[in-house]
Amino acid sequence: MNSLNFNIDFGYLEGLVRGFKSGIVKQADYLNLMQCETLDDLKLHLQSTDYGNFLSNEPSPLQVSIIDDKIREKLVIEFEHMRTQSVVPLSTFLDYITYGYMIDNIVLLITGTLHQHTISELIPKCHPLGSFEQMEALSIASTLLELYNAVLVDTPLAPYFIDCISEQDIDELNIEIIRNTLYRAYLEDFYKFCQTLGSTTADYMSEVLAFEADRRAITITINSFGTELTKDDRATLFPRCGKLFPEGHSALVRADDYEHVRAVAEFYSEYRILFEESGNNPTEKTLEDKFFEHEVMLMKKAFLEQFHFGIFYAYVKLKEQENRNIVWIAECVAQRHQTRIDGYIPIF
Amino acid sequence: MGSLYRSEPVALCQLFLQSEASYSCLSELGELGMVQLKDLNVTVSAFQRKFVTEVRRCEEMERKLRFLEKEIREDDIVILDTGDNPEAPAPREMTDLELMFERLVKEVRDLNTSAEALKQNFLDLTQLKHILRKTHSFFDEVDRHYDSALIDLQAEGTESVNLLADDSLLVTPHTIRFEFVAGVVERQHLSAFERMLWRISMGNVLIKQVDIETPLEDPITGNSVLKSVFLIFFQGEQLKAKVKKVCAGFHATIYPCPETKAQRREMAMGVMTRIEDLNTVITQTEVHRFALLSSIAESIRIWSIKVRKIKTIYHAMNWFNIDITQKCLIGECWCPVAQLERIQRALQRGAAKSGCSESAAILNRMDTREQPPTYHSTNKFTSAFQGIVDSYGVASYREVNPALFTIISFPFLFSLMFGDAGHGFFMFLAGLLMVIFENRLIRMRITVDVWDIFFGGRYVILLMGLFSIYAGFMYNDFFSKPLNIFGSSWSTDLKNMTVDGRYASLSPINNTNGVPYFAGIDPVWQMSSNKITFLNSFKMKISIIFGVTQMFFGVILSFQNHRYFNERINIYCEFIPEMIFLFCIFGYLVILIFYKWLAYDASEASCAPSLLIGLINMFLMQYDTKEDGCPPLFKGQQAVQTCLLVLCILCVPWLLLVKPLVKHYERKRGLTYGAARSGYVLMRNGDIELQASHSTLSIQSGDVLLQDQQRDEVVHHVDGDDEECLSNASEETEVRMPCNANTILV
Repeated sequence: MNSLNFNIDFGYLEGLVRGFKSGIVKQADYLNLMQCETLDDLKLHLQSTDYGNFLSNEPSPLQVSIIDDKIREKLVIEFEHMRTQSVVPLSTFLDYITYGYMIDNIVLLITGTLHQHTISELIPKCHPLGSFEQMEALSIASTLLELYNAVLVDTPLAPYFIDCISEQDIDELNIEIIRNTLYRAYLEDFYKFCQTLGSTTADYMSEVLAFEADRRAITITINSFGTELTKDDRATLFPRCGKLFPEGHSALVRADDYEHVRAVAEFYSEYRILFEESGNNPTEKTLEDKFFEHEVMLMKKAFLEQFHFGIFYAYVKLKEQENRNIVWIAECVAQRHQTRIDGYIPIF
Repeated sequence: MGSLYRSEPVALCQLFLQSEASYSCLSELGELGMVQLKDLNVTVSAFQRKFVTEVRRCEEMERKLRFLEKEIREDDIVILDTGDNPEAPAPREMTDLELMFERLVKEVRDLNTSAEALKQNFLDLTQLKHILRKTHSFFDEVDRHYDSALIDLQAEGTESVNLLADDSLLVTPHTIRFEFVAGVVERQHLSAFERMLWRISMGNVLIKQVDIETPLEDPITGNSVLKSVFLIFFQGEQLKAKVKKVCAGFHATIYPCPETKAQRREMAMGVMTRIEDLNTVITQTEVHRFALLSSIAESIRIWSIKVRKIKTIYHAMNWFNIDITQKCLIGECWCPVAQLERIQRALQRGAAKSGCSESAAILNRMDTREQPPTYHSTNKFTSAFQGIVDSYGVASYREVNPALFTIISFPFLFSLMFGDAGHGFFMFLAGLLMVIFENRLIRMRITVDVWDIFFGGRYVILLMGLFSIYAGFMYNDFFSKPLNIFGSSWSTDLKNMTVDGRYASLSPINNTNGVPYFAGIDPVWQMSSNKITFLNSFKMKISIIFGVTQMFFGVILSFQNHRYFNERINIYCEFIPEMIFLFCIFGYLVILIFYKWLAYDASEASCAPSLLIGLINMFLMQYDTKEDGCPPLFKGQQAVQTCLLVLCILCVPWLLLVKPLVKHYERKRGLTYGAARSGYVLMRNGDIELQASHSTLSIQSGDVLLQDQQRDEVVHHVDGDDEECLSNASEETEVRMPCNANTILV
């Protein structure tokens, strides 16, 4: 896949995604959205953005969940369009993007069934990008082995699941471990796949996936404080394709509190800044937000270069951030919580 | 000059509308369609404007209408379109409309839910029917096997008793109880469904499946889906629970299926009668729904227009300023000076309609330094041509409008390329038919995009056909065949011909009667073997002549503009160098073409120089000493051409640099002077307290001042040096591009 022949197979889609990208809501629009007093104002203003009339067929007392669904629906339509237009290897690349959502869906369904929810009320909460045929029959599995044998073996996630097969029953802690093990295997596989693509795609995606891996490693460590998760188990959950691997990982495994994690991050210039600028005071941004900000910055970089697949990944991620932003503002508007309304992360 | 030559004079007007009269006045203005309103609230975001609630109510109504229209389309009911254009209803009617739409939507929704329930019921029953039918054949087969085996056994049993092994096999189905589940699943999920069942049971289920041939209708989406009947045999309660879960996961519907044949038959009978009952009910609902939707379809078009008009009016009112007393709306608009009378009358009508006095709406002409919008008043003949020109770019205010000349030049240039009288005649006929039956065709309201293009350009097609007949006549092409109308000038008597194999050569000296063919190309050329060479050279020269003429014409039009706007610098720094540049190369070439046609006849043809090579050599400054002994084109050719070339090269920096430099110096020198002058103008525009300083002017005039200052800034901004250089460079390329094209043509 070199720049000479790139346009033959992928030129159309690259152009398309760049067009989609220019429809991402701008900072000026956010400023307008923040002045809204009701959700109908929000709808009116969103009409002047690329979203157009996407809410015009909804009856008037709007709900945030409807806005959320509709925004997601638009992304899914765009993504499906690109997926159907694409050929190998881009189609494989796009499939890889959906695997992440599939993992989230599986975990959501397992947790839901554990809490005695029926499948039919859980399905609408699943991300449509990660839906698969066997999804709704997930509730038949009571042990992990059954889950693998009956449901997951036919999905592309099967190889990722090998590591967590056991006769154990499914419980809360298990689920988090499953999610992170799956995600680790997924990230490493995606990383490997991107390396085979070579050139700009490999360069860009390795940077992006490394960040994603490190973010997960740091978050897992912070979240594992005060849980039953042993340090050895913790180590098995870190995706091994980030910048933290291997020295950072061994340091993270030994970490006992937040300060230790911060000390580990000290050695990595890009993460040090994130820790320095974050805090738990209401005026400061949380570490999670800082990570999101850093992600947005990384994603925007994708569009500076041509002839690579990174922009597809970046577009989906940016759209997701935009989704979070709009939903955040909508929630603030709906709950009349104007003071926190600027907590969104501007994109362009 | 006609009004099409330059766009109409347009004036900036201020509109004062009393709040009560504003709606009907704007409605009248909208029907007139002669006013371009300006948005005075650009800084106010959409949801903070005054009439946003009304706009939102209209949007809500539009949403309901869209829903109704969707339902109507689903039932393939034709929406009545009478072409009526109802006036915008009074604001108080809006509530009535809202209530009516609300009621209709509710009615349709209710019908839909009941229809959905009925259809779901129907689907369930049909699926059950299919299950019974399919399983029936399956169970029948089993029974028959069993029976025949039994008969065999009885027959053999009398003879021998050593069939113990067989016997035990035979008894198995009776001793071990197999349970089964029957149901229907979507065919596309079938393979995944089977695979999962096989996996969860470790291969301990038996699945039988039969496709249902007829597609079934999904009651919610209305799509038809293909489904399959399945029968799952298994053992044990635990497996049963799992199988049921998988069925639920794949949205398979499970039906109770009786074990014995008699029960199944009985059930099938029951299902059939219930389906029939349900059918009658469904038909009744559908008839009701059809009647309701048909009545809506009759007036939905009118309603949509009404709602859109209300919405547009309120949208326009959002562009107005509201004065402090809340009693009147103040807006600004552009309107053609010639139409001012009509606009005034429309405003009076609007005021009268709302029951206010005539002074409720005031149109007040204002002075402005802003560039007004371009407005060409067109009629049905000129509008298509104006459309063609506008698709390339709209002329600035009061600039010469090329559309006027396009009326002739466009069909003419088309015909030069089309060039066939026969085909042109058909085109003419098509155009003529559309023109003659114009009114009837408009009334037919054909809604096909391609038709709109043809019908919109019917006058263009008419003229193109007409000109093509002329050009075809000149090229002597009638359905690609020549017409010998005036008698060919060439004689084909064999005496004077040189016959060479299959071809006979005609010499222009011996085989002509000396009189040229009366008009157009001599028909003999159409059958000659060197037809292409001859006609190409001829048509190419014709193309250059017309192309260059058109370019000259364009430059002269720009001269008209410069003179009209009194831009002397453009005449000296653009028009004159452009003219010289054009003339030195292409004007000269055209002269040479004519000269060559006149100066050489058949006897000297071998000495006629190639103009193409000549032009290239002119640029290369190559003048070969004659090897063939032919004299140059004319005496002193070398001197003249060198002179033209030098002139031409001089034009380039002249065209590119002089104007930006002049402007630059002017601005440098006149910066202080200019500021003072614009200040003076501002004072005059304020026009209220000349002696007062700007800051002490009353609020309202202050506003005006502010706006004017902004406008001035805009004007200055555009005047930047870089802009000037760029615009000049683009001017240059504008001239060069067609030149290049022409060179290629040569």
